[in-house]
Amino acid sequence: MKMVRGKGVGVKKSGMSIVLGMALLLVSAVTACAGGAGLGDPRTMTFAPVEFSPPEPERVVFENGMVVYLLEDHELPLITLTATIRAGSWLDPADKIGLAALTGSVMRTGGGGGLSAEQIDEELEQFAGEVSIGIGRQSGSASLDVLSKDFTRGLQIFAGLIRTPAFDPARVELAKLQAVEGIRRRQDNPGSVVGREFVKMLYGTDHPTAREATIESVRRITRDDLAAFHRASLHPNGMILGVTGDFKKSDMLASLRGAFGDWAKGAVPQLTIADVSEGDTTTPVIRFVDKDTTQTHLRVGHLSIKENDADYVPVAIANDILGGSSFRSRLFNDVRTKRGLAYSVGSRLNAGMHDQGVWLMRAETKSVSTQEVIERFIANIERMRSELVSDAELAEAKEAYVNSFIFSFSSPSAIVGRLVELEYDGLPKDFLQQLRDKVVKLTKEDILAAAKKHLHPDRLKIIAVGSGKTMPGALSPFGEVKEIKLQPEG
Amino acid sequence: MTIRSSRVSREGYLAEYGAQQGNSWPLHALRFTGFLLVTALSLGGAHAGAPSLADRVIEHKLANGLTVLMVERHQTPVVSINITFAVGGINEQVGQTGIAHFYEHMAFKGTRTVGTKDYEKEQPILDELALVGTELDHRQRELAIKSGGGTADEQAAVASLQKRFTELQAQASHYVVGNELALLYQRHGGVGFNASTGKDLTRYTISLPANRLPLWAAVEADRMAHPVFREFYKERGVVMEERRLRNDDSPSGLLFETFTSAAFRAHGYGVPTIGWESDILSLTPAETETFFKTYYGPNRATIALVGDFNAKDVIALIEQTFGKIPAAPPSSARMPMEPEQRGERRVEVEFDAEPSLVIGYHKPALGHPDDDVFEVIDAVLSDGRTSRFQQKLVREKRLAASVGSDANHPGVRAPNLFILTATPLAPHTTAELEAAMYEELERLKREPVSPKELERVINNLDADMVRALRSNSGLASQLAMYQALAGDWRYVLTLRDKVAAVTAADVQRVAARYFTKSNRTVGLLVKKSQGKAVAQGGEVAP
Repeated sequence: MKMVRGKGVGVKKSGMSIVLGMALLLVSAVTACAGGAGLGDPRTMTFAPVEFSPPEPERVVFENGMVVYLLEDHELPLITLTATIRAGSWLDPADKIGLAALTGSVMRTGGGGGLSAEQIDEELEQFAGEVSIGIGRQSGSASLDVLSKDFTRGLQIFAGLIRTPAFDPARVELAKLQAVEGIRRRQDNPGSVVGREFVKMLYGTDHPTAREATIESVRRITRDDLAAFHRASLHPNGMILGVTGDFKKSDMLASLRGAFGDWAKGAVPQLTIADVSEGDTTTPVIRFVDKDTTQTHLRVGHLSIKENDADYVPVAIANDILGGSSFRSRLFNDVRTKRGLAYSVGSRLNAGMHDQGVWLMRAETKSVSTQEVIERFIANIERMRSELVSDAELAEAKEAYVNSFIFSFSSPSAIVGRLVELEYDGLPKDFLQQLRDKVVKLTKEDILAAAKKHLHPDRLKIIAVGSGKTMPGALSPFGEVKEIKLQPEG
Repeated sequence: MTIRSSRVSREGYLAEYGAQQGNSWPLHALRFTGFLLVTALSLGGAHAGAPSLADRVIEHKLANGLTVLMVERHQTPVVSINITFAVGGINEQVGQTGIAHFYEHMAFKGTRTVGTKDYEKEQPILDELALVGTELDHRQRELAIKSGGGTADEQAAVASLQKRFTELQAQASHYVVGNELALLYQRHGGVGFNASTGKDLTRYTISLPANRLPLWAAVEADRMAHPVFREFYKERGVVMEERRLRNDDSPSGLLFETFTSAAFRAHGYGVPTIGWESDILSLTPAETETFFKTYYGPNRATIALVGDFNAKDVIALIEQTFGKIPAAPPSSARMPMEPEQRGERRVEVEFDAEPSLVIGYHKPALGHPDDDVFEVIDAVLSDGRTSRFQQKLVREKRLAASVGSDANHPGVRAPNLFILTATPLAPHTTAELEAAMYEELERLKREPVSPKELERVINNLDADMVRALRSNSGLASQLAMYQALAGDWRYVLTLRDKVAAVTAADVQRVAARYFTKSNRTVGLLVKKSQGKAVAQGGEVAP
């Protein structure tokens, strides 16, 4: 049986060849397939490593500083263009939180490039073109997704919205009303409340990563504010394009130059976000929100490292073993499988490049199990900090990482998207390969050292959203408990 | 025809911390199989120059009835596999609701080889545990309804059973290798290992490096033939937590559960897929085994594989493994037909959340000619920014914060509901919004839809068909789904042509026939305050 395909895809280029699989574990798979009575025990099957050289996109920089990544892919008659934009709500003035998000929203819905909002939607939807624009906390993003036959017109519309949005006053007004409605509804689901309150506990309510629009702040924002934000923040030299699909590279570059080449450079906003003060980072805090629910929604964790930290790989693998790897993790096995206390339970290292990362554990469990779940959380952190992980756990974590690595490169848009993201974050283009090499070399001792240094049971921020009658009793064994009283929105 | 539901997905950064409603957690109960159907139809050949993927589907049927669908795609050495069984909530009996979904959870507990340290020693313990657990459940239910909690003798008998039960659970756990099935896949680079249960279908998914197909075949054939129910009673607790998360504590979840069970009074579509609490907590290993044996034969399964393989090799592999599993006998279970609705039904759910509403009209199932017309109505009403609901209710009248529709709730195989969902934009009320939605339905009866609207529907359907081919897992999912639902994956191709043939007069006729007051059910989410004085923010000691 020959099902192993070792051939690469596309043109093989410098040094990007990836060998997936671990040298120590390689034995031929052929024996596993022999014999008439089934295939034998799947637990002892072994396979050749997956060798795969992903195609390498081309990177071009226009005279105005706009960066473009291109990768042709002719399987389907589709073209996808994305723009990653250096703008975000970190730029919002304190009295107008929500400005960046609203700007992104109305760039899409308010007309532009000489066309009205209605004309744009009519035309796009008649040929099944899709355009999205949004501005988040640390970046903006826009995309155009069309059948290749419609690309020229699609690009015209897209560039019009990006460069000269009209901010139709009626659409600005509607977007504000919708934003207010979103705020009015953000306490409806316990999962939304716990996520937002946890972020505020970690960073502080006024920090760019945690602060939120209010009905008042949205009402203060005017159409002129949106136009001014767009003018000040969106520049070709603050934008990275990624384009994949059914095109010829030279034609595509000519089209993109035509659409964006005469756009003048500007002063791109600096993306710098202040760290939280040491004192606030290290102090343990326990809070609850009273909500009429049968379950307690729990988040337990603290601020953590950034993605380029020297310890990122050992912390990430420690987290993987602790609770990051779903079925395989200790928390899943302990809290869900063995005790039946939660449907969703796990931990997460959420590390980016622009603000401090977060490490957290989470679960939803019936009210009466709240204390037991937190006890299991703490016991599992302590175990990570006091014992070496087992050889099996380490080997499994490595195999899972290395063998699934190929899925990070499984489509042209994934490949281009990854490079755009790395460039936006100021990371090297082979960052993932570097991580993989570190994973392969990792030892149990590295993991223990990282857990001791970076997982802090004495600094935990604990938030529980659930029945106010039982929360104080369930949480008080872990320290002083206070209630966060939510104000009704609107 | 995109996903439109009242399930709100939060966006951006907060979702990183807050997401709990998505599909990222393993093993979930789908309440609305219909939403799978409308997520974009696959396999077009409609565009000039588009590769006709229809020609690339290779079909193979085994002697035991198992259907295999394959599409070779050699860009990347990976493969996505979707196993879909034509079994779901509608196959359940009264008193055993949730058993289809619960079995799906049990299917992750391993087999006689995987998940155990020593099956021979484990088996007798599991057998006794099942007997004792079932007896204990039974006695506890009896005591619960007796005054004073039963006699001292009865209580002592329960305590003794409880003691034995706990001992057996401890003994059984000694032999368990926790989550070994999942661990095997993860070690070999598997991603997207999951399953979902709906009213019509139960589906199992995995993506792997392509050379791991022999591992997949060995594991899945074993799982289809010899599942072992480990950690049964703990898993009832897990499923109860899932129920609390999705239905009891979720405003939209509870609204949909209440609304749907009001709309169906006889047919199983009215029962939530995850099951009623008392049923979940009473499920027995014996019932679950019977359910498995009745419905999980290879003759009820479709396996769709898309990725980097040679189809001939895959056929040989599947024949060698799945080919040995005997077919299950045809099921003789009957499902009541939903009687005609003879008057509007209205239900309310009180929740500590802002108001919303859902409106449903009974309509025919997949295969009925009117069903295709509803696909067009669905798109005209709510697909995209130019849709009538967006234009009229969101932009012009500013009554709605969000509004959507779905042509197949909560399933597609049996007569179902066309539903409309909406949230009002304050200060407007659900009553105002409801009236405005009826006005749009009346307009469908009164005036023909424009040629431009019809053209837009088919253009978007064609483009969706091409877009659906981008992902291996998406394509595998679509192929297996249509095969299981319609008995032939080619249904998607004929559906495209049938939708294209729908006329403005069809829309008027169908709207007039089905969108009547007596045929509708209305569910309202009503804000319930906690009735406490609320401090001005900040923190206070409890």
